[in-house]
This record gives sequence, C-alpha cells and structure tokens, in this order.
Amino acid sequence: MSQFTQQVILGLLLGGIYVAVALGFSLVWGVLNIVNLAHGALIMVGSYITWTLFARLHVDPFLSLPLDAIALFVIGYALQRGIINRVIRAPLLFTFLLTFGLNLVIVSLLLLLFTADFRSVTTTYSGAGLHLGSVVIPYIRLGGLLVALVLAGILWLILNRTRIGAGILAVGADRDAAQLVGIDLRHLYALTFAIGAAFAGVAGGIISTFQSITPTAGDPYTLQSFAVVILGGLGRVSATIVGGLAFGLIEVLGQSAPGLGSGYANAIAFVVLVLVLIVRPRGLLGRLA
Amino acid sequence: MPPVVERLYSKEVVRRERFALIVGAAALLLTACGTSNNAGTSPSTGAPIVFGAAVSLTGAQSKEGGLTKQGYDMWLDWINQRGGIVVNNVKHPVQIKYEDDQSEANLSATLVQKLITDEKAQFILGPYGSAATATDAIVAEKDGIPMVEGNGAAQAIFNKGYKYTFGVLSPANKYLTGVLDMAATLSPKPATLAMLTANDNFSVEVAKAVEEYAPTKGIQVVFSKQYPAAAPDVSGLLSQAKAMNPDIVMNSGHLAEAIAINKAAKQLGVNAKIFAYSVGPSTPDFISALGPDANYVYDGSQWTPQVKYQPSFYLSVSDYVKAYQQKFGASAPPDYHVAESTAACLAFEKAIENAGSLDPGKVRDALAGLNVMTFFGQIKFDNRGINIYKPMVVEQIQNGVHYTVYPAAVANGKPLYPTPAWSTR
Amino acid sequence: MIAREQRLPRWVRRAVIAVAALGLLYVILGPLTSLDPAQQAGLPLLTDKLWFRIATTVAMFVVMAAGWNIIGGLTGYASFGNIAFFGLGAYAVGVLVSNQRWPFVAALIAAPIIAGLFGLLMGVALLRLRGHYFAVATLGVGVAVGEVVNNVPSLGASTGLFLPIVRSDLLFFYLMLGAALLAVIVTWVILRSRFGYGLLAIRENEEAAAVIGVNTTFYKVAAFCLAAALTGLAGGIFAQWNSFVNQENVFPISANVQMILMAVIGGTGTVLGPVAGAVVLELIIQTLAGGGTNAVYSQIGLGLLLMGCVIFIPRGVIDFFGGRSRLSLGYLRQTLRETSA
Repeated sequence: MSQFTQQVILGLLLGGIYVAVALGFSLVWGVLNIVNLAHGALIMVGSYITWTLFARLHVDPFLSLPLDAIALFVIGYALQRGIINRVIRAPLLFTFLLTFGLNLVIVSLLLLLFTADFRSVTTTYSGAGLHLGSVVIPYIRLGGLLVALVLAGILWLILNRTRIGAGILAVGADRDAAQLVGIDLRHLYALTFAIGAAFAGVAGGIISTFQSITPTAGDPYTLQSFAVVILGGLGRVSATIVGGLAFGLIEVLGQSAPGLGSGYANAIAFVVLVLVLIVRPRGLLGRLA
Repeated sequence: MPPVVERLYSKEVVRRERFALIVGAAALLLTACGTSNNAGTSPSTGAPIVFGAAVSLTGAQSKEGGLTKQGYDMWLDWINQRGGIVVNNVKHPVQIKYEDDQSEANLSATLVQKLITDEKAQFILGPYGSAATATDAIVAEKDGIPMVEGNGAAQAIFNKGYKYTFGVLSPANKYLTGVLDMAATLSPKPATLAMLTANDNFSVEVAKAVEEYAPTKGIQVVFSKQYPAAAPDVSGLLSQAKAMNPDIVMNSGHLAEAIAINKAAKQLGVNAKIFAYSVGPSTPDFISALGPDANYVYDGSQWTPQVKYQPSFYLSVSDYVKAYQQKFGASAPPDYHVAESTAACLAFEKAIENAGSLDPGKVRDALAGLNVMTFFGQIKFDNRGINIYKPMVVEQIQNGVHYTVYPAAVANGKPLYPTPAWSTR
Repeated sequence: MIAREQRLPRWVRRAVIAVAALGLLYVILGPLTSLDPAQQAGLPLLTDKLWFRIATTVAMFVVMAAGWNIIGGLTGYASFGNIAFFGLGAYAVGVLVSNQRWPFVAALIAAPIIAGLFGLLMGVALLRLRGHYFAVATLGVGVAVGEVVNNVPSLGASTGLFLPIVRSDLLFFYLMLGAALLAVIVTWVILRSRFGYGLLAIRENEEAAAVIGVNTTFYKVAAFCLAAALTGLAGGIFAQWNSFVNQENVFPISANVQMILMAVIGGTGTVLGPVAGAVVLELIIQTLAGGGTNAVYSQIGLGLLLMGCVIFIPRGVIDFFGGRSRLSLGYLRQTLRETSA
C-alpha cells in the first residue's frame, strides 16, 4: 500500500512540474491562439539562467526564480511585439511555423553559448526529503509543486482580479470587440505572451534542479504541454492544473502498470489522452467556448 | 526474392571469409617483412587519403558526438605529423571530412552517402550511437566502402551479415557483466540486483546480458523494468526497485538518465551497496553535474587511462592522455568515447598498411584479418565484424576522480565497497 | 481594405512553367542515364548515388505533404499525427518482408491498405473533435503508435527490423516518384469532383455543409483514409529502401512537423502547393545540413528563413504563381497589414 502511495506522490510531484510548464503554454494558446513551438526553448533559457546564477554566483535556485521570470518577461514581450505580432491574424498554422523557426534559432543560440554539455543544479539539500513512514517526499520536488501551485494562483489572480487580466480575457473572447472598447491590442498581446514566457522561465528554473539540462532538452516539454493543456481543457487555470497533475500521475502509474512492460508508460499516457478526448471532446475541465 | 538475396549473401560470406584469412595471413607476413625492408629508403608523398565521418555535433547527442570527433582529430594530428599512412612506400597524408548529422539517424545515412559521392571519401569513420551506426552501415554496405566505428555497440548491427562494417569496441553485452565479475569477488557478496533499462537497442542488449549472466555468479535479479527512452522522470520505477531492497542497482541507458537516477536515488533514500550505470559516469559531465553525489558510482568502461596495454604502434596510454590534455586544454583525462574513436582510426591505418592498397575491397579484407595491440587494447574482429577480444574494465568514482578497480591486472585502485548510505555521506 | 490584385506578367509565368517542365523532365529521365546500356552508349551520367538519395527523400516528403494536404488543407482538419501512417506503412512492409517472408511487391500493396484501415479507425474515433482538440488527439495517436511498436517484441521492439538489402537506387526513386505523382493526381481529381467540393465546404463551414446535404462524416473519414493510405505507401517504400525500420526512423515527430510546414509554405488547399513546399523546403534542409562542422549556423539560418517565409509569404509560395500577387513592396506591405495585430 505504501508503495502505491509513494507512486501517487511521485506522480503528483511530476504533475506539478507539468503544471508549471503548461501554464504559460495554455495562456498563450487559449488567448492568443498561438501554438508556441518555442515554449520548450524558452523553458531552457530559464533553466540556463538559474544554472548560471547557481554555478557562478551560488544563488539558490529557488531564489533565482523571480529573476527567471523577469528576464523571460522582457524576452517574451520583445518577441511578441517584434515578431509574432506580424502573423497574429494569420491562420493558426502560420504561428505554428513561425514558432518552429523561432525554436530552431533559440536552441541553436543556446548551443553556441553553452555547448551541449549536460548541466545540473545540485544543491546541498537536493537529497533531503520528508520521510513519512516508508514514503519519501523529496524537498526539491515538493518545492517545485508548491511553486507551480503559486504560479497558478498568481495567474488566476491576474486574470480575474486585475484590469490587465480583464483585458486579456476580453481579447481572448472577442478580439475585435475588445479593440472597440479601446484596448491596445498589440500591447496586450505582447503582455500576454510575456506572462506566458515568464511562467516558462520559472518552470525552467525548477526543472534545472532535478534534471540535467542541455539546449535540446526543452522539446519533450513542448510535447507534454500539448498533451497537458488539451487533457485539462483550454480556457481555465484550474483545467491546466487538473491536466498537469493527471498527466503526471498517469505517466508514473503507467510505469507500474501490471501486464504491460513499463516501457509502455509513454504510450499509455498518450493513449489515455486520446481516450479522454474521445469521451470528452473538450478535455476534462474545458469549457464550451 | 528476398530469400534468394539472402542465399547469395551466405555464399559470398563463405568466399570472403576464406579470402580474408589468406589475405590476413599474407598481410601479417608482409608486415613482418616490411618493417625490415623499409630501413634506408624514405617514402615519397602521395595523394591524400580522404576519410568521411558523420557525427552528431548538434542535437540530443551533440556531447557524445563532440567526443567522437575529438578522438578522430587526435589521430589525424599524429598521422599527418608523420607524413601520412604508408602504402607501398608512399606516404599519403590524411584528410577527415566531417558532417553534422544532428543526432538523426536518417540524416546520418544521407550525409554518409554525400561524403562518399560528393566529397570523395574513400573510407568511413563511424557516427556516434547504435541507431546511426545501423543506418550508416547499410549505406557502407550498398556502396562497398569500409566503415570502422567505435561508438555503436549494439550487436544487432553485426548480426545482419554486413561485410563492410567493423566495430573496434566491445559489444553491448559486455558493458555491465564486468561489474558482476567484480561483485563476485567482494565480501559480503551482493546477492540481489535491480535493473532499470531505457528501451533503445543498445541499452536493452546491455540489460539482457546482465540478466543472463547474474545468476551464473550467484546474484539474483529481483527487479528488471524498462522505461521509454525519452522518459522525463524514472523515480517511480526507482521507488519500486527500492521496495525489493536490492544490493546492486544498475541502469542501462545514457548520460541524462544516469544523472537523473542518481539524484532520485539520493532523494528516495535508495541505499544499494553498488550503483552501476552503463553510460554516463565515465564522462566529466557526470561529476560536475552531481558533485559529491557522484562518488562511489561504478561503470563499465571500454577503456580507462589506467589500462596497461603495450601498444605495437601509435602512442602509449600515458602519452595519449598527455597529448589529449595538451590539445584540448583539459584537466581531466579523455573518456573512453574519445579513445574508442581514435582506435577506429588506428584500425584503418593498420589495415591500409597491411593491404598495401587503397582499394576498398582489399582494405575490407585486411580489416577482417586484423589483429593488433594498441593503447586501446587488442583490436581484432570476429567473423561478424565486432571486437569481442578486448575486455571491458570497471571504473569507480572516488573523491571526484575516476579509478580503475577491476580487473586487478589493470586496476589502480580498490573498489570502495559497500557504498555508504546517503544519509551518512 | 481591398487589395488590387495584379497578375504576374505573362512572360514570367510562361518562363516559370517552362523551367518547371524541364525540371520534371530531368527528374523523370535523368536517372535512366545511370543504367548500364545508357553508360555504354556514352550518355553523360546525370545522377549519382547522392542525387538518388536526396531525390528519393524529396519525393517522399512530397507524398507526405500532399497526403496531409488532403485532410489538413482541403478539409480543414489539421492533423498533427500523420506520421503514424508513415510508420505503420513502414512497419507493415518491415514485418511482412522480414518476418513473414512476403515478396516486397505484395508487402507494398498491403502497406497503404493497412495504413488506410488504421486511418479509418482513427477517423471514426477522432473526426468529431474540432480544431485544437483534433490536432492534439492525432498528435497523441502519432506518439502512442511509435511508443507501442518500440516495445512489442514481434515488431522488433527497440532493435528494429532489418530487411535484406536491395541494391537499386533507380527502383526506389521511381517507386517514390510514382507515389508522388499518384498523390498529386489524386489531389487533382479530388479538387475536380463533388467529393472535393464537399471537403472544401466542410472546411469553410461544416454546419452549413451538413445543412445543404453533404454527408460530412463520410467525407471527412474518406479524406482521412486517403491521406493515410498515401502516407502509408511512402512509408512502405521507405522501409525497403532504408533496409532498416525502428521507432526513431519511421516515427520521428520532426517529420510530422516538416510535412505540415511544407504544405503550408507551399500553399494549402492547392494541388501543387505541397509539391512546391516539399521540394523547396527539403532541398534547403538537405543543402544546409551538409554544411560540415558549422551546422549550428545553418540551423539558425533555416530558422530565420522559415520565420521570414511565414511573415512575408503567408499565402504560400504557390500564391506567387497563382496570379493573385506580385513580388513587390506594396504586396508585402499589404500582407503585413492584413496579418498583423
């Protein structure tokens, strides 16, 4: 029984990472209708910033997260305002292509700057954990989950309790009407993308603490983001939380699925995703937009 | 049609084998005579020999691909300093033309074709990784160009009867069996083993060999599971393994997973007596990423700077290490990926000299019959084309430094056994 | 803002058509010069092994992009998982030839059938989803199928399947070229039939199409099956050409993205758009890939090029020659105005 509990806990902790990763992706996709294939690359930028601060200045990774957020916010704003805004009214697939090209460029730049060496942030407390009986909850992972939940909370607050958030939701609902009431579309788009990028940066910071990072390590996270966002459903923060935690749980529990080899874990996760969509075409919590 | 094609191959196989034995014997005789004949006459310079290599300089395996290139460049400098490879008393300088296959196997095959067709490569040096090696071997086979590789250990490549591909490294099934041999000599002897395997062709072969070999050494495999090669997190599997209380925890995978598993082992409090990973601990990245947590980890290595082989040509082990550190400005000695790549070049050099010709068919036959001792160990290929004659060694990281701990004949340290519990470190 | 649409000068259009025709002739007849009788007759060798490799790869992407176009471009259902059909076709040939000892020809006929059947299954299950959800559902299937074959022992698991080597570059090039021509012809026929009209109607407004009597479910599933069969055919040819099949080779997610890129850059919804996109993009990728040790810079270049294409040519390359536009600053400025925020 405690073995199962351990698996569930590990699944939730992994899910926390997925939530952090998917929040920014979901915001950008839901509001701006942009499929950001460069999301993984932005995550890696955050990871490298955290790593550089840790390796050169010995800054604790969790303390560097706000810095990741600020740096990625600026980068995201510039990217959206300067480049992505140019294709915002084009069909969905064009942003897909654009961000694909962007991804190539960012990953290559990271490769030039940092080489392909594997880096990792290993703090003195990286092995410690909360021991509850025979179940262990590693502190670093717990920290990651908590940060993810805080991020989700911040996003919810922004969207539902601030003017900016109201603007973002308005633009997401009906862009022309929003323009009619005086919202500066370009600025708002850039702001939304910047927030999404900031979240990606923070997720990257967390990832660098428990995984080794290299410029190409972001691509799997983009793939997982697709799955998480759609599994939960577009449109709401709570949907992304549910989607992320669920996906994490499925992946970990899939490794101990009886009957099939544990190598099927990835296959199981994606099959579950497809099955959920067949039964509930809007995702677990998606709203009928 | 396919069965007919296969039958033709087997006839060819037998013919070529016999021819190879004769040529190999003749080559050895010639080499023996050649050394005494060459005294006095200075060779003239001939046209450059072009080698082609498609390595992963970008993409998921850019790190390992970079090490491969370093190994090739080490030999390139040395051979050109001496004027080149000697063929019939003519020195041919060497060129290596590189292409970046971006860690994609299909692209690797196209680039090898490009090297052969466009860039006039006469011989091919292998890529990094068993996946790319498998596809490149097919191009080499179709074009009749010999390929020698040092970085693809999956035996499946060599079981297909390809005649033009040779691997200087020990095959996958030997990677972790050395650790089992070592474990059998330790006391208290470990009794149980847990195996975590990435499901790619190389790692699965490594794991299978361990599962078959462990019982013969009195070690019971209590847990063995695979994870998808791109799994983000294997701590779930590791915690399942922990429940079985294994004495030995092994991972068959690549560098990223080795780092992740070691971190997870500390977080979950998995206190095995031996941690052994197939790939990863031999690279400097492993130590720099994990810091003191990297200590006590074992790995099976194709080569370490402590081996005591007496080479018949090229540099000795210690000279090689010094040359590497000088050329690349590194404080750490080269890891085995560099050495096995250099060994591939050495195999070509000797085979070309033995064949006394640059004809691909003759060089291929010379390779098949090659038997030479180098700083990397014995280079000799079995009838499938893989080097089963060189043993693997076991390394352990002690205080942030690699020590060779088994077999005793080449060891420069003793295994620190058992690995202390995480909480006591 | 209504654009003034100007046609390209007649001579430019004629020149482009002439060049394209010559190119096609070269591609179809050139390889014949590599046959022994031609060599003995003294004809210059127009193609070499590398030419065959690249040309076959380009033809393969033409088939994939055209296949995707049928479901993504004509019907408006952007599938992100067509690679599943390629892989299934490849594994079909792999298993039949290597395990079951079928002759290659028979296996090649089975490949599109198997892929098409899977397309049928997938279509019936997933085509009720729309937009983003459909895209990710197909992505999920694409990833899942690849992961499954990597684990099933009778499909070779992680080792993969090895097929006997067949040494004929010519054969595989013509096979792939034939598949590409088939894909183009199929698209052309569709666009001139009621079926095609139905698909376009579904793309523009599915509810309205249903109202006017289009059997949307049947049409959508049929389009998906066609796309699956064509892509599966390409996969089947690839399997024997490459002589080696494993998850990494035939289920690469990157190829998934590439085939969509090609159809979009070329111009979705047209017959020649995917062809142009596949030829242009794949040739660029192959040329940049052979850049030696500085491939990182080539990657940056490719990324910037793609971004530039998307920003300045959003209607696709074919658009230039479809008589709707003109290569002028005015056009570019107007495009930007239309697509920007």
